[in-house]
Amino acid sequence: MKDQFYTFKVWVLCLLACSILTKNATAQECDLRLSGIVYDGATQQPLAGATVRLESSNKIAITNKSGVYRFTKLCSGNYRIKITHVGCLPLETSVSLNSDLLNYNFNLLHSSEQLSEVVVSSKLERDINTIKSSLDSLDMQKTKGGTLGEMLRQLSGVSVLQTGSTVFKPVIHGLHSQRVLILNNGVRQEGQQWGAEHAPEIDPLVAANLTVIKGAGALKYGADAIGGAVLVEPRSLDIDAGLRAEFNSIYFSNNRMGLLNAIVEHGGTEKSAWSWRTHLTYKRGGNARTPDYWLHNTGVEELNYSLHAGYQTEKTKAEFFFSAFNSTIGIFWGAHIGNLTDLENAIKSEKPLFNIDEFNYQIGRPRQEVAHYLIKAKLTRELDKNRRINFWLSHQENFRQEYDRALIANTAELDLNLGTTTADINYETNRFANAQSQIGLSVQKQANVWNGSRFFIPNYTNLLLGMYAIEKWAKNDLQMEAGLRYDYRSLEVFRNQNGQNFQIDRSFNNLSASFAINYVPNNRLSWLNNFSLSWRPPNVNELYVNGLHHGTANFEIGDPDLISETGWKYTTQLNYQWNTNTQLDLTLYTNYIQNFINLVPVLPPTLTLRGAFPTFKFQQANALLSGADLTFNTTWDPSWAYRLKASLLLPRNLDTRTWLQQMPAPQIDQEISWYFLPGSKNSFLSTNVLWVAQQQFIPNNFIDYLPPPKQYLLTNLNFATELHFMKNPISFGASIYNLFNVRYRDYMNRFRYFADEVGTNVVLRLKMNL
Amino acid sequence: MLRKYFALILFVAFVASVSSCKKASMAKSETEHEAINRVELIFKQGGNTVATIVAEDPDGDGGNPPSKIDAINLQANQTYNVEVKFFNIINGSTKDVTSTIQQQAKEHEIYFILSGLNFPIEKKDFDANGFPLGLISQWKTGNASAQGSVLLKLMHKPLVKGPNDDPSKGHSDIAVNFPLKVN
Repeated sequence: MKDQFYTFKVWVLCLLACSILTKNATAQECDLRLSGIVYDGATQQPLAGATVRLESSNKIAITNKSGVYRFTKLCSGNYRIKITHVGCLPLETSVSLNSDLLNYNFNLLHSSEQLSEVVVSSKLERDINTIKSSLDSLDMQKTKGGTLGEMLRQLSGVSVLQTGSTVFKPVIHGLHSQRVLILNNGVRQEGQQWGAEHAPEIDPLVAANLTVIKGAGALKYGADAIGGAVLVEPRSLDIDAGLRAEFNSIYFSNNRMGLLNAIVEHGGTEKSAWSWRTHLTYKRGGNARTPDYWLHNTGVEELNYSLHAGYQTEKTKAEFFFSAFNSTIGIFWGAHIGNLTDLENAIKSEKPLFNIDEFNYQIGRPRQEVAHYLIKAKLTRELDKNRRINFWLSHQENFRQEYDRALIANTAELDLNLGTTTADINYETNRFANAQSQIGLSVQKQANVWNGSRFFIPNYTNLLLGMYAIEKWAKNDLQMEAGLRYDYRSLEVFRNQNGQNFQIDRSFNNLSASFAINYVPNNRLSWLNNFSLSWRPPNVNELYVNGLHHGTANFEIGDPDLISETGWKYTTQLNYQWNTNTQLDLTLYTNYIQNFINLVPVLPPTLTLRGAFPTFKFQQANALLSGADLTFNTTWDPSWAYRLKASLLLPRNLDTRTWLQQMPAPQIDQEISWYFLPGSKNSFLSTNVLWVAQQQFIPNNFIDYLPPPKQYLLTNLNFATELHFMKNPISFGASIYNLFNVRYRDYMNRFRYFADEVGTNVVLRLKMNL
Repeated sequence: MLRKYFALILFVAFVASVSSCKKASMAKSETEHEAINRVELIFKQGGNTVATIVAEDPDGDGGNPPSKIDAINLQANQTYNVEVKFFNIINGSTKDVTSTIQQQAKEHEIYFILSGLNFPIEKKDFDANGFPLGLISQWKTGNASAQGSVLLKLMHKPLVKGPNDDPSKGHSDIAVNFPLKVN
């Protein structure tokens, strides 16, 4: 029990440490910064030569050719800002400056247009032909400390596939794992993504922007993003000169988890063109608690760090990135079953049969130990005003060890190591008016080696060659983008059965394409249409898996004769702004997937000396996934805002004329926010109510052990404000998730057969900038 | 200066890429390595072995189903001392792992669940806490009966084992159903 308050103590210690640091930093009076980009409101292109004036201080900044303006050494307080540019309506607004505002962007409107209201957008909207949604800084704040999946589920159309309370996998429009590409700072994340209980090996605290691409916008990064892509992007290294630091300290009451995070960065100066940033995150949590009992062995421990460095000359930009991710994840005891009989017993019991109802921080068996290392170098060279070449080289090492029941030896049952080396080259040109083209080439080499005492997937090596061309152009009210990509993939699989070594060679090649057309008749409406053709070769596990899946008592069998699946997706996004206060965003999609690879239950169960196991085989069917995502925002008073998010998915299996299993249920999330300090978006109190329906779209021929759980309603509270301590801004935030300690289970949690979801969780967050 | 550093970065990435040339071609045997794939029930009377009953699945879970599950035939109104042994077969060689279960006695218990017939079975060995283990047991048969079966279960239940646990507590390391008849 010495451990019991360990995390809390650490958190308190950090508070003390932070306040000491603050004392030393009192000299930094009037050292705030304000910067951002001024865009042309009609074209969303950065506007050079705009004048940004701070009226009360008489400071003036002129935007550079990237549209960037910068003020430094400002005192805190309220400022009137006036922005002017030839041919545009002047824009006047005010800003309340309590801390650094580094991404405070403006849209200027042409004088011919009648709208004279200010539009402040918080995120960069350069890529306007892609259907995507980003977590805004407020949503990032509200979910800080959670896993990547938990943060992304804030977006409509994104849900999570859970394994207990510790593993979260993002699901986009019903698709996940190999069908969702994850880009970590521009590099395709290559882990053991095929497993439904394998979470992405990424620390979301490395990111300043989290974006989900729902349509086809990822052609550049790979052809197999049938479901979409997730972009995890750190803030650009193109930052202001000087040394800065940010500290975060977060405490979660439910599993008594503490998180410490530090970011130290240094921007280039006139003397040195070097800039760098480093980050470190440590978190440790114990057993989670449902409203009625503790979940034994559900602790987590994570240590992540990264280094990002850049060097810039007039024409050349070099970038280096290293990141490390290490985690140990406990898997709930009660879900660890031996055979079909154990499973039936576990399901019959209201409370988990196999559990110790107490709190501790120990992580025993079963557990996952995962490490991921990424090293990347990028070189960008401006050939002339209109042409540019990018070159990337990256290497990743992924280690995954799954500890199961330790019957004889004390080693990991499953031990996988995947190494991936990628080289990319990309050439961009905008020599022609209103058009931009890029072509690229990508080579990837991969090797996966298994070890341990239980076979699950065989060793393989993989060679991938890809080439693509993308063309963008604009004409009047229309913006268009077309892309074409060709991929060749060769797969060598090495097996050892009955003392015989043998090799299987497979190769796949395919063409993928995308076309987007965006109709922007005026400043209020944009109607974006996106067509895509994508393909995904079957993964090694789908071809050759043969074994028991960790902790699920499912016996999985691959099919070596599977062929590539092909997706035809049409997505349309309608964005309408009545005025600056009210905005509607509707995304409709339909995704026809030919030869959709799917785990289907088969009879008879597999017989072993441990008993019988339900058996599943990978099979192919034609599927049609259609759905809608809706977001509606309105503010009816400067200090009150309402937001509605809803999503619906109809996952049809066309061959069996029924629904596909394990797809997210319809849900609606409503939120009311009160900004209690006038003029400040950083001080708010908000409440949201999430309703998730009982999943009705389930296969009628599927033998599931339990019907989908009942609908549920969750209430969360969020609060944040900024204080000043020793003249330094401190952000303080608090959230209460599952305020009413509701007892519920979710269809997308693979452990829903065994235990309830976690109960009330109070989160305290403290952020300091130095 | 930039060129010098970039060459270094390239070099690091190159070394990393070369080091990833793992021995994927040296695949390990796919047969399950560390599992119990042979169970023996040794029936003794007066110190003499009267029957050895075997269940075996040499290729582990999956692949082929268990290759052998012997039937048990016992005499009516007799007392048998029964020993259970567990083995791990790797590449044809058989290793006795019963001592591992003995060492982890506090985490394990063996159950004999009769169906279709009934007679008393008493566990004769105990773990350090004095809770039953079941590697050694005594079976007292009654009158002759119809064909039934006995389910041998090895339950794994670290930290939660008690004196009178239900056979469903924990998870099954072994669950073999032997046909059983009392003549």
